[in-house]
Amino acid sequence: MFAYTLRRLLQMIPALIGIVVITFILSRVLPGDPAIVMAGEQATDDVIAKIRMDMGLDKPLFVQFFSYVGQLLQGNLGFAYHTGHPVLSDFATRFPATIELTLASVIIAICVAIPVGIIAATRKESFIDHISRVFSLIGACVPIFWLGLLFIYIFYSILGWAPAPMGRISGDLNPPTHITGLYVVDSLMTGDMVALKSSLAHLLLPAICLSTGTMAIVARMTRSSMLEVIGQDYVRTARAKGLSETAVVGKHSLINALIPTLTVLGLQFGGLLGGAVITETIFSWPGVGGYVTDSILAADYAPIQAFTLVSAILFSFINLAVDLVYGLIDPRIRYE
Amino acid sequence: MKKLKWFSAMIALTVVLGGCASNANQQPAASGSGEETKPAPTLTVAYSEGGTTMDPAEANDLTSDTLVLATYDQLVTYGVKTVDGADVANTEDIQPMLAESWEVSDDNTMYTFKIKSGLKFQSGNPVNADAVVYSFERVSKSSSGSFLYGMADIKSVTAKDDSTVEIVLNKANHMFTQIIAMYTFSIVDQKLVEEKGDDYLKTNAAGSGPFTLEKWDPASEAVFQANNDYWQGAPKLSKVTLKFTKEASNRVLLLNKSDVDMAIEIPPKDVAALQENSNLTVKSNASNRILFFAMNNNVKPFDNEKVRQAINYAIPYDQLINDVMYGQAKEMKSAVASNTPGFTDAGYVYEYNLDKAKELLKEAGYAEGFSFDFTLGSGFDDWEYDAVLIQAELAKIGVKMNINKVARAQFLEQQKDGNLVSYISKWTSFVNDPGYHLGFLLYGEGSSNYIHYNNAEVNKLWEEAGAEPDQAKRNELYMKAQEIITTEAPWAYLYEYNRVVGMNNKVSGYVYYPDEVLRFYPLSKEQ
Repeated sequence: MFAYTLRRLLQMIPALIGIVVITFILSRVLPGDPAIVMAGEQATDDVIAKIRMDMGLDKPLFVQFFSYVGQLLQGNLGFAYHTGHPVLSDFATRFPATIELTLASVIIAICVAIPVGIIAATRKESFIDHISRVFSLIGACVPIFWLGLLFIYIFYSILGWAPAPMGRISGDLNPPTHITGLYVVDSLMTGDMVALKSSLAHLLLPAICLSTGTMAIVARMTRSSMLEVIGQDYVRTARAKGLSETAVVGKHSLINALIPTLTVLGLQFGGLLGGAVITETIFSWPGVGGYVTDSILAADYAPIQAFTLVSAILFSFINLAVDLVYGLIDPRIRYE
Repeated sequence: MKKLKWFSAMIALTVVLGGCASNANQQPAASGSGEETKPAPTLTVAYSEGGTTMDPAEANDLTSDTLVLATYDQLVTYGVKTVDGADVANTEDIQPMLAESWEVSDDNTMYTFKIKSGLKFQSGNPVNADAVVYSFERVSKSSSGSFLYGMADIKSVTAKDDSTVEIVLNKANHMFTQIIAMYTFSIVDQKLVEEKGDDYLKTNAAGSGPFTLEKWDPASEAVFQANNDYWQGAPKLSKVTLKFTKEASNRVLLLNKSDVDMAIEIPPKDVAALQENSNLTVKSNASNRILFFAMNNNVKPFDNEKVRQAINYAIPYDQLINDVMYGQAKEMKSAVASNTPGFTDAGYVYEYNLDKAKELLKEAGYAEGFSFDFTLGSGFDDWEYDAVLIQAELAKIGVKMNINKVARAQFLEQQKDGNLVSYISKWTSFVNDPGYHLGFLLYGEGSSNYIHYNNAEVNKLWEEAGAEPDQAKRNELYMKAQEIITTEAPWAYLYEYNRVVGMNNKVSGYVYYPDEVLRFYPLSKEQ
């Protein structure tokens, strides 16, 4: 297991080198000159030339590339001109918000979709099965931005149940003492019930909004893999042994059915990061998604490259984690 | 069972780990600490962008400018006048601020400023002549602000004594005092910056202004506290919070629910709905932001004056103002905004008249029409609607407009290259002066004259006006230039935007400035 993990970690290195090169080239061929965007419309040519020099854009491309790699090796992700901060400090303030939102969405998706998928499979063609099919179809089709605006309009504007879509916690409260940067976890850790209530209230709508697509896919996946497993011989044997229905479904079938579901969840993670960009903009959620959108609009290279790199690393680790969990669920897939 | 044990262990671990950290909300509602003296009210404003810098010399976006004006003072400032019951800045009326008075030499090239005595920066350091010299030097060396230094023709800035500053210009410049009233020329606490290092200014304030910066996170909010020792008197608000809310529809919702006291950049389509809410006031002022349809004077057929005039007759002006802008815009009748001193609509004869447009095309030798490329920059909804409506009208006179949509950054780059055949663009002149405005956009050598309009007479008038100290005579020259430009029609004038700010009825004291930046100091709010 350990050797396998190490091997997988080493395999990430060439992939990451590829990503560093590709994102560098991609960001440079993006149309638009960051110096012009930075300077504003009333800037003269010599001001733009000066900014270009400050940014190091006047140097040949390969020189720019090597200085970028050199910075990376020192753990420096570069400077975000459109916010006036180093990318690393921007990430430090924003990444926890995105992680919290994404994790909450995954948890909501799992808690809703897996039970729904199981029920739909075990009661095939029942009313519940049809309802879940309809909702999955809707969930997979509805654009996030539309759903987000609708949620805000209904739950905040009309009903007044949800707090104002402004950030992660009410303006009149202090954020919980910083430990992990995830407000919910931090307020639990410090026993800060006031902050917990407020941050959960702020988190709920965007998290549900972001999880709809994943929820739909995971529910359908759970249902179909459950159906496949239920028809297997060993399930028939379990029933014939006189095991209770709970044991048959919950233990023998579910564990085997979860493997494809896990794969889908892992793949969904990338989609969630993309969806977070839209969700964060709509809910004024101070995460990394809105930040990257702004960076792209301003042709600000460093944050775009850094985000792609960090996302790639995250994605690789999640893939690895998924593969390792396979082994925990099904001893036949242990890697040596 | 096993799972339950594991779970409770996790909870226990969380509590143990957390045991060493303190609860940040031990006393919730910390603001209400005792009711001996009622603190001044607080104000929350929904803003769009998060800003990029606190450094006055580098600030060049709306939010950064707002942050700077809240925390810094300048040598001089603009007066305020009342127009149609609304308070608006009077940019021609230059008032003392940190400088109590100034003298001008006979040839208008030397200004001697006397600084008010006893003024202090927020740090407690004295405001003195050295700090003024230092602040001006920072502007001259900056990236964003340095062009204004050149625009003001500043040659040298010297401290004559502790409270006297002498500024010498290369040549007489009537815009000089207007330019140094801008946020760029804020006076910076030299001693503090030298202690902390120059980067300190990027994220901290070092000024003498009415508010101190408590927190600024471009991702979520900026918080300002009143500077109660402010030399003009304590602000009427104890705290101002800017909430950065990119989604315009959310700004409208927040304002409607009174979760914010003010919201800027209200979309035109939402104005009517907000006006129905009796708790709110919507201030819609004619701004200096103009929108024009530019045609490259070097490219056929737009090198022909008659063709450009024909385009001017084919624009559905009323549709643009009423259907696209919901009436939150005003017709534009000169290259210069109608709020700018020296504006004239002389020479403006255009209206929506397709027969006239056809006639002009025929005279120009394009009876069959022609086809041309139009570049649409992204980021502004109204531009897109305008382009499509204009395209439809032009089609009726046989002119085919090929719309090519590009991202904002790409648009700015292509525009700068000066090869775009036609495009729509907006412009706000930071300095409310026709010389500044035309010098950028339509003077032959203008740095933002991307359509190569070059008329010898206009150039000559502009140069003469620049050297003319008498305002009335100067404006006469600018008016002549405007008339020629309007007749030759390098642009089609689309509209002047309104600056729309929504606020709760409890808020008062709002003053509109042509640079569209919100000043907090005049604002107050009923408890």
